[in-house]
Amino acid sequence: MDINLNDLLRRYKSHPFEDYKLETPHTGIISFKVEDGQPVKGPSGKWLHKPGTLLYVLEREKNPKRIYAPCSGEVVHVRTELDGQFVEAGEELLSIRHRLDKDEIIDRILTQVLFIFGAPQRARFFLIPEMATKIERKSSGSICVAPGDEILIMSLMKRDTMIAYAGEPGVIYKVYFKSGDLVEQGAPLLGICSPEKLPYINKVIQRIKTEWED
Amino acid sequence: MADSGKLLTQLADRISYLIDIKGDAKWANLDELLDRVHGLRQSLFDITEARLFEELDRIEERVSFLEDRVAEKLSPAEVVNIVRSIQRFTLQDVLENVYDSYTELGGEGECNIDPAMVVARAIISRRVKNKLYRHQVMVIGHEKGRGEEFRNGGCARPWGNDKALRYMRVAETEGIPIHFFIFTPGSFPIEDYPGAAQQIARNLYVMSKLKVPMVSFISEGGSGGAEAIGLSDIRLMGAMGYYSVISPEGAAAIEGRIREGEKLPKELIRHCAAQLKMTAKDNLELGTIDRIIEEPPLGARREDYGFFRRLRYEMIRATDEVVLKTKSFRAFRAYALKQRAEEGKDIPEDFDVAIAWDLSDLEIERLLELRSKKYRGLGKRGYIQLKKGLRLGLGRARDMATKGYYELRYGLLRPHQRNVQKVIEEVSGEGTVFLKKVTEPVRAAYDFVFPKLERPRKVSAPESMERRSIFAEDWEQYVSPLANEDRTVTCPNASKYGCLDLWVPDLYGELCGVCPSCGHHFPLEYQWYLENLFDQGSVREFNTHIVSGNPLNFQGLDARLKRDIKRTGRKSAIITFDAEVKGIKLVVAMLYSDFRSGTVGSAEGEKFVRACDRARTTRRPFLAYIHTTGGIRIQEGTLGVVQMPKCTVAVREYIDSGGLYMVVYDNNSYAGPVASFLGCSPYQVGIRSSRIGFAGPRVIRETTGQDVPPDYHSARNALKRGHIQGIWDRREFRKNLYDALVTMGGPNLYYK
Amino acid sequence: MSEDCVLIANRGEIAIRIMNACNELGLGYVVVYTREDEASFHVELAREQRGAGAVYRISSYKDPNEIFSVADRANATAIHPGYGFFSENFRFARRAALRSRPLTFIGPRWEVIRDLGSKINTKRVAKSLGIPVIPGSDSPIYNEMDAEALAEELFFMQKEQGIKHPSILVKASAGGGGMGIEEVNHLDTFKRVYRRIQNYAKRQFGDEGDLIEQCLTDYQHLEVQLLCSRHGEVVHFGTRNCTIQSTGRQKRVEAAPGFDPQLYDYPFDASKVLERMVKYSVRLAKHVGYDNVGTWEWVVTRDGSPYLLEVNTRIQVENEISAAISRIKGHQGPVNLIKEQIRSALGEKLGFKQKDVSFEGTSIELRIVAEDVKRGFSPWCGTISRFDFPEEPWARLYTHVPRGRPYSIPTEYDPNLALAIIWGRNTEEAKERAKAFISACNIQGEDSQGRAIVTNLDYLYERLEDVLRF
Repeated sequence: MDINLNDLLRRYKSHPFEDYKLETPHTGIISFKVEDGQPVKGPSGKWLHKPGTLLYVLEREKNPKRIYAPCSGEVVHVRTELDGQFVEAGEELLSIRHRLDKDEIIDRILTQVLFIFGAPQRARFFLIPEMATKIERKSSGSICVAPGDEILIMSLMKRDTMIAYAGEPGVIYKVYFKSGDLVEQGAPLLGICSPEKLPYINKVIQRIKTEWED
Repeated sequence: MADSGKLLTQLADRISYLIDIKGDAKWANLDELLDRVHGLRQSLFDITEARLFEELDRIEERVSFLEDRVAEKLSPAEVVNIVRSIQRFTLQDVLENVYDSYTELGGEGECNIDPAMVVARAIISRRVKNKLYRHQVMVIGHEKGRGEEFRNGGCARPWGNDKALRYMRVAETEGIPIHFFIFTPGSFPIEDYPGAAQQIARNLYVMSKLKVPMVSFISEGGSGGAEAIGLSDIRLMGAMGYYSVISPEGAAAIEGRIREGEKLPKELIRHCAAQLKMTAKDNLELGTIDRIIEEPPLGARREDYGFFRRLRYEMIRATDEVVLKTKSFRAFRAYALKQRAEEGKDIPEDFDVAIAWDLSDLEIERLLELRSKKYRGLGKRGYIQLKKGLRLGLGRARDMATKGYYELRYGLLRPHQRNVQKVIEEVSGEGTVFLKKVTEPVRAAYDFVFPKLERPRKVSAPESMERRSIFAEDWEQYVSPLANEDRTVTCPNASKYGCLDLWVPDLYGELCGVCPSCGHHFPLEYQWYLENLFDQGSVREFNTHIVSGNPLNFQGLDARLKRDIKRTGRKSAIITFDAEVKGIKLVVAMLYSDFRSGTVGSAEGEKFVRACDRARTTRRPFLAYIHTTGGIRIQEGTLGVVQMPKCTVAVREYIDSGGLYMVVYDNNSYAGPVASFLGCSPYQVGIRSSRIGFAGPRVIRETTGQDVPPDYHSARNALKRGHIQGIWDRREFRKNLYDALVTMGGPNLYYK
Repeated sequence: MSEDCVLIANRGEIAIRIMNACNELGLGYVVVYTREDEASFHVELAREQRGAGAVYRISSYKDPNEIFSVADRANATAIHPGYGFFSENFRFARRAALRSRPLTFIGPRWEVIRDLGSKINTKRVAKSLGIPVIPGSDSPIYNEMDAEALAEELFFMQKEQGIKHPSILVKASAGGGGMGIEEVNHLDTFKRVYRRIQNYAKRQFGDEGDLIEQCLTDYQHLEVQLLCSRHGEVVHFGTRNCTIQSTGRQKRVEAAPGFDPQLYDYPFDASKVLERMVKYSVRLAKHVGYDNVGTWEWVVTRDGSPYLLEVNTRIQVENEISAAISRIKGHQGPVNLIKEQIRSALGEKLGFKQKDVSFEGTSIELRIVAEDVKRGFSPWCGTISRFDFPEEPWARLYTHVPRGRPYSIPTEYDPNLALAIIWGRNTEEAKERAKAFISACNIQGEDSQGRAIVTNLDYLYERLEDVLRF
């Protein structure tokens, strides 16, 4: 299960970017507020309460909705031909080329180290309420799961089903979804780390921390 | 040589002090002068003594000259600088020089629940005909320290004010007077339990009826922080002190609409300092303080022992006055005349009489009465009273009639009884023995004239009568003007809860401004509540003839008042009215945002007090519905600030009379009102999505250097911290209010 | 009317049926779809018939703003809500009517939707017109004391009637569709249940009012189909029987007419009961000024007492079985109620009267669903690779599942696959034909783990035995 950390780091270093494709959340008339190549900022402030750069305004039913950048980066592939036009929901508008920072690199690499519990089906997922509050309070890291624990609720065809965890026992290291998210089949839900692997994972994190410069 | 070193230090201090006052080292080349002093110190051993002293004399002469020039004409902004100077005396100096001995309570120095608030048991003594008399007092005040961080510049934290309150109660138990020393730029604006605003409110509430004489001295009276220990029987103020509703910088930021982080223009600060009428002289004229204590021309510093002597004399004299006024007016007058003869002269070494500072029960009653009168009388000149027209006149006749009716019904015998009691007391020292005999028939008569009231039947009317709204179109009766637009709005929680955009006519119509998916409350205009909270047609406004004015002639306020009057069709930021909720009559005071952001000035305070009194005489519940309040109206200066104690006194008397005082916060409620007459209510409730607190995020950032989370002031957090007792949904406001009216409150409500 | 353009604010088979109706009426239409429904047949069909410009992708069928936004964009003049979604949302209907660019809501007036949308209100009005309703409260109860008194009375009444296991239902008055309903079998447990429902109602609907009524256990679920116009015309299309339901009160097999006294014996005079129900339904419709299609839901107990449950102010899934047995002015061939609904909403007169409507034969609807009947009707999801059904003159099938290409069932919506409408000259023939139809269906597919599709075809087949039997 060892990973080649050097390779991974080298790969990320040579291309430390990820493109975020942005789509219209709903129909409306769009007016862009950014141009290709423009740098944008994501939400900021201690509580991320200050919105990022204004990307575009989408007006529907006389409600001009301002849409802000969800992350920092450089705006690319702006579909300027849509400017001033009526657009449908889910229309691709632009991408943000986001430079990964140290924490994000750690996240990316850890998905390859942790045991990943993926979505059994394309559905909406929720953590069971007790787990959600636990995680909120302790920011995971110390919550153990064992196979058979019912910790997730899968909402499918208007029905809620309890999902039992299956995989190696360990602590929940990372929750990859927000409660209520629509998750594709196989996409990661939880990242689990078994106790014996913990020192190794901490070592990996340390390595990345020392070797990665933002 | 050692002497010259000391002289140099003194000179340097004097120059630095001047720099402090002018707020400008360049003024009259003070910096160069200071450099010269430092230069001399460097070359102390290189020059001859003669030359040194020659130079010292020259500098001293120059400094004296400059001191005179500065003292000749001190601007209000310079007075503020004096107060803030590190060289100004602090409570520590007062404790050491004014009192004979003292023991600090509730902490020492840094080891303290709040080093910014110091409490001490102290002894103050006076000489009468060569005999020494000692008085025990409780000293409570802010300690600014000498720049030590733990003193927090004299900004008491909520628990510091709580500590003050605890020892006020100790003083009350032990029956000793309290001397307050106010040295604070303001309260530390954090919401951590017990909460800045709520604790000040509690202090005010207790002080309004604390059964011991209280005298306060103000050096730096920063608004709410000052009031936390400021509701006293006599308020003294240092001649070079300031007492203000807000710091000149704060006022400048508001008046000049200066964005956070931008530099404030000095000129604007100076202008605001002058406009706020914050000096001792201004305050004396406004009636917000009782007396000024002379200070040296540039203000008292740590070594001004003469000033401390004077302060000791004045503290004793003021306490004497408070005590004597409770005894007999004649005795007080004799004392006062005697003392007045002394005025202008230096303070005497001896007192003519020794007066014991403990009070009998009767005297305590009188003390409280006088205190109530004093605070109720504050700010009377701060508002305009319109002549009533014919219709209003009729209303007044009705008011009078009502008053007469209720007085006859509930109030007649109480003062009468008191008079009887007094007579007895004066005749013999053992009033209590006789009292019973005399009052017994009176009580019998009372019971005869006023049989126990029966509960009105409407109160217990079945619920189902009220609820026939599903078919009936009663939501169509009042439609918010916000609803008349074909557009949608986005719920602020949309990204978190996935709320859909809301069609405005739905939202502001039957949805009552509430997002159906997350429950977020969009603000609704105050008229909505007038229409939806109370029984149809039951709202009857009173005291509309009391109008907000501009008592300080604050520049620009007249125009703004005019604009708001025109815009709202109302004449103050408060609406007081009689109303009914499912048949229960109540009195309501409503602060609303459209008029000067719901700020409280003299007119608002007066109307509030009158509403409160009306509720008391009619024995009705009293609701303060706070649609929004932005605090005390800063343009009224300390006339605004004193509305805090004034209204609290009225509230306290109402609650003590056995009523039900409910406060409901909506939208935004901040600062002074929350820290006094609202925050002291035993029943406080927040409407969902409202924000409640002492200072807004910006002020917190600027004073504490800490950023606060966006939901810092949310009703939910206020509930968590114990500031409010519950959160109400707007759609259930009426029902909950009715339930509260029926289930809560004192025994004296008319329907109980 | 021919200038009108209808926005179809729905998905699945009903979208297709509305499209057909529009085509038959010569009306333009536009459809909407969500990303999950990209492969739905209604999208393909609309593109084929009216071009890409008549198809709009929206974020959700449940967002009214999307519907109105597209309606304006596409110059639609009317909105057909189908069933579910906005069909009984009076706010949606009101907004359509009151917005600055008004749209015709294809359904009753919004006032009617609002007033009949409240079960309690319906009950109260019905009661005032002498229409029988289930014993219980006819206004929401907010007071625990009142509630308990009523509960006690209901238990007493049932005991008096000799009911062995009396029980009552506590319902959130603002609720619906089986949510916020709990049964109480014993008076002692009433208080707790009442409080629980009250809290639930408060949380869920912002109104803690509750309804309390007798819980009927042995009954059949019947419906009366009405069609009214904006001109005060009221015509009924007979009755239906919808007693066969899966868990969660989901209908699976329906039949029209409501009873068949020729075939089966009922412990009461079935024709008379049906007649009464129709009469009452028409009475209520006239009273409230009903002006579009609507369904009056009834329960009939074993002693032959009909009780009005509620009014569904929309076109129902099962409307077509009523249409299939109806003949107007003796015309051969069935009526198209959706067509009639659109015509009526756009302001036309019906053009016929009650006496012009006659009935012929029996019709049965089968709801073909990908669900595991043995596991609590849990929905199955996966990809359908083959979907064959017999072509018969006496059967019609509606589905959004495309033929000729694999189709994966969207997980966001109901797992309904298709509706089959079977007609026979009498009930026996209809049942036989239905059985034959089911047997000839061939549905194949597999889920992500490679397991074969599960449908309810066998279940439907078995349940056919019970159709119209009491």
